[in-house]
This record gives sequence, C-alpha cells and structure tokens, in this order.
Amino acid sequence: MNWGVIVRTAIVCAILVVLHFTLRPLLGWRASIDFLLIALVFGAVRMRPGVAAVYGLLLGLAADSLAVNTFGASGLGMTVVGYASSYLKAVFFADNVALNGFFLFVGKWIFDVIFFLASRQLTGSDFWLQLAVWSPISAAVTALAGVLALTLLRPVLEARTA
Amino acid sequence: MARSSRFSSRVDLAVFVVCLLAALIIAVIPGQAREPIARTLRRSVMAPLVALQSGAERWRAAWVAAEREAVTRDSLALKAFSAAALEAENAQLRRLLGLGSRLDWGFVPAEAVHSAGRAEPFTLTLTAGSRAGVTVGSPVVAPEGLVGKVVSVDPTMSIAITFSHVDFRTSAMTADESAFGIVSPHLGEEESDSVRYLLEMRGVPYRSQVRPGTIVYAAGIGGVFSRGIPIGSVLREIPTPEGSWSRTYLVRPAVNPGLVNSVMIINTQRANSGVEGVWQMTTALDSAVRGVVAAGDSVVRADSAARLAAARQAILDSAARAPRPADTVRVDSLGRPVTAPPTPAQVVPQRPAAPPAQPPAQPPARRVNPQPAPADTPAQVPTADTTRPR
Repeated sequence: MNWGVIVRTAIVCAILVVLHFTLRPLLGWRASIDFLLIALVFGAVRMRPGVAAVYGLLLGLAADSLAVNTFGASGLGMTVVGYASSYLKAVFFADNVALNGFFLFVGKWIFDVIFFLASRQLTGSDFWLQLAVWSPISAAVTALAGVLALTLLRPVLEARTA
Repeated sequence: MARSSRFSSRVDLAVFVVCLLAALIIAVIPGQAREPIARTLRRSVMAPLVALQSGAERWRAAWVAAEREAVTRDSLALKAFSAAALEAENAQLRRLLGLGSRLDWGFVPAEAVHSAGRAEPFTLTLTAGSRAGVTVGSPVVAPEGLVGKVVSVDPTMSIAITFSHVDFRTSAMTADESAFGIVSPHLGEEESDSVRYLLEMRGVPYRSQVRPGTIVYAAGIGGVFSRGIPIGSVLREIPTPEGSWSRTYLVRPAVNPGLVNSVMIINTQRANSGVEGVWQMTTALDSAVRGVVAAGDSVVRADSAARLAAARQAILDSAARAPRPADTVRVDSLGRPVTAPPTPAQVVPQRPAAPPAQPPAQPPARRVNPQPAPADTPAQVPTADTTRPR
C-alpha cells in the first residue's frame, strides 16, 4: 500500500469519524448509523490484520473516552471487528459493494454483541431485544450508509491494497 | 516467501492478541483507574470531536424544541377551533334543552343528519323513528323555529323535508294576526343557494301591509304545524302577477337548515294540544312592554300630581303666614292708600283670614313653579311674586 492510498484512506476515515460526532447526534435515531464502524471497516480492509487490530483498539478507546462506564467495551469490539475484517478481506480477496455492505452489517452486529456483553449495560429481555431487534436494524442502517459512502468515495478509495 | 507470510500472520495474530488483552484489561479495571485514561483522551485527541458533538447536540436540541413548539402551537390551534365548535354546539344544545323544558312533553329529540345526495338536497335524516313515537307529518322544530316535517318513518330513523323542499306548505300569520298567508319555498328566478333557502308568504290580503322585520308564525290552520311556531321574518314584498288583490312577501327563515344538527320532533298529540307560549310571540312581548310603560307613566303621573298638590299647599301656607308689608301700600297724591287692581295673585296674600283650603283665586297650575318644594323647607317656597301674573 503506497502513501497515496494511505493518505486517501486516512482522509476518508477522518471524514467518517467527524460524521460520527456531528451527523449521528443530529439525526438522533434510535437505531443510529455507526460511522466509526464504517471508518474501521474501510480502513481495516486496507491494512494488515495486526495493524487493523491496533487501529480498532485505538478507535474504540477514542469512542469509549466519552462513556466512562463502558470504557474498553468498544475497544474490545472494534479490535475483533478490525482484525476480522482485514483477515476476511485477505481471505476472500474480493472488492465489491455488496461484500462491503455484508462486512459492515456483520461487523456492526458482532460489535454490538461484544459491546453489550462487555459493558454489561443491558440484562435479561432488554439485552436480547437489543441484540435481536435494534442491533440488526442499526447494522442494516450502518451497512446502507457504508455502501452509500463507498459509492460516493470510490474515486478517493479506488486504489486498494493487495 | 511462505515462511515470511506465516511469520507475518503470526505477528498479526500476536498483535491482535495483545490488543485483545489490552482491551480486556481496560474493560475490567476499576472505574477510578479508567477515568484518567478517558480524561486524557477527552482533553487531547478527542477534544475537537467532543466540541463538534456538543454543537451537534445543541442543534438537535434546538430542532427538537422547535418541532415540539410547532406541535404545541398546532395542537393549541386545533383546540381553539374545536373550542369554537364545541361552544356553538353547547349553545345549540342549551337552547334545545330550553325548548324541551318549555314543551314539557310530547317531543322526541333527534340528531339531524344532512343528506349528502344531490337528489334530495332539502331533506334531513333524523335519528329517531317509530319506536320513539315519531309519525308521518310530525313537525320538526329547532329552538329558533320551524325546520320541516317528517315524511317517512322507519323504526329507528325517519326522513323529514325542510321548509325549503318544494312540497313544503304551511299557513302563516303575523304576531298581531293582522295578516295571514301561505308560506312556501321561494323558487324564484334567482337560482343562487342563498336565495333558494328563502321562503315566500303568499296570499296576504292586499289591505294587510307587513313591514320588513315582522316575525311570521305558523297559524295552525291545516293541522300539521301548531300555531305559534316561528317561521321567519319578512324581508320585503315581492311583485307577483296577483299583486292587485293580494301581496307576497319574501321571508327569511328563522332556522338556518345548514346549521341544524339537533332538532325536536313534536308528536301528534302535543301538536294538537298547541304549542302557544313555547316560543315567545312578538305581540305578547309588545303588549308586555306597553303595559310596563303604561304602568310607569301612571306612577309618574300620580307622583307629579302629589308633588303639585304639595307645592300648592306650601304656597298657600306661606302666603297665609306672610305679614302684610307696609311698604307695599301705595298712596295717591293726597296720601290716601291705593290698593292695586284686584288680581288673583295679589289678592291671595292680602287675605290672611281666608281659609287656605278655599283660596278665592287659585293660580293656574301651569304658572306655579314646576319645581316642587321640599316639604320640610317651606321658607324656600316661591313667594307671592312668583304667582303674580305676567
């Protein structure tokens, strides 16, 4: 991966991170778009799995810094999702919109499972309701937003890593 | 090459495990230990993002507040509209209750459902039928007056024609019974809806001229509509071919059929027994007003007469008590006293011995000061000079 790709990917991820802290609270949806996870997947698929794991940990800790009670939960989830995204991308060696959307959907769902398990915020029926209803909806919305972003930013991200 | 790849994979796996362990450790350490890390991140890397998030949340809060305010305004406006409609309905129902209490018996309250079809635009569907005692021909009234009559009855509903229906006819009269006629819908050449809802009072004798504004009541001739139900008020006389021997008047109905929602259906027995007194007739009101005015006039007249008599008595008393002034005796050139020509006004004070009850010359009442003197201040009563003829 050359420096141009690194810079472009960094810019796209920065834009997505900014959107996470501006557009997401502005929309205020119950099943919200997780732009941080989109930034994680977009970056992770262009990194080695180990670097993607570090990237996920740092991104998760940054997100956790605003929620002291769940500090570390996002870091744990994003570490797993980042490593898995990079590893699976390397395994399948495919680059199309549908596969990215699928990665985003599954990644968001797995992240929510790890996050709510690690944070222990929800218990009982609320926990299962969140994982069975709200998390899939949020994952779907995130996947749609990710596909849209990928379509719009394809000129920037057209160079991909091998 | 393969060895290098395997090595890279192992390094990646090792890094992943290290990251995983770090995240797990961070997640399980106590809150006091996590807070410094979080605070450091918030104050350094995350500071601009936190500021962005705060701004976005403020925008969101303002947006939500504006939406809530708009919803509140809309709901208030809706309630205001509903309140006006409810007030109107409440007033109508109160009037209907008043009508029911005046009718006392023999009526059925019903809701009037306006026909939506174009075929019968001047009919009403009433929510009371034969089970409630409604019969064909029963008058339908509102607190303001006549609405129509029932033409078809089912067990739970009935259909009535309004006074605008072409088949509607009723005898009518003015309150003072000076003019009688037949009221029917105005089917004039003007086909506008506002004119179509007016009525005509036909066949009024030529000698009976009705002023605009006169209230027209059902005359009770014919047996359907009882005497005394208000029909409407006269707008003006309209020219007709039979204008040489009878008059026709345009009548504005007392009831707006488009606004009628609740009505009373008067049953046959009640209609036959009469409804006089249920609606206040203008003549009765006029006679009552005239009676009150006449009574007031008589009281005023009696009071004026009493005051006049008291004033006269006071004048006479003061005149009787007044001494004869010496300087009022005029003398002639020889020094002989000369009396003034005997006038009624001057004679009175010069005859103190005369009984006050029988004055020789009582001044005309119109010359007495019309302001009555208080009984306890006889000194202020006008003196004899005020009674002197001018």
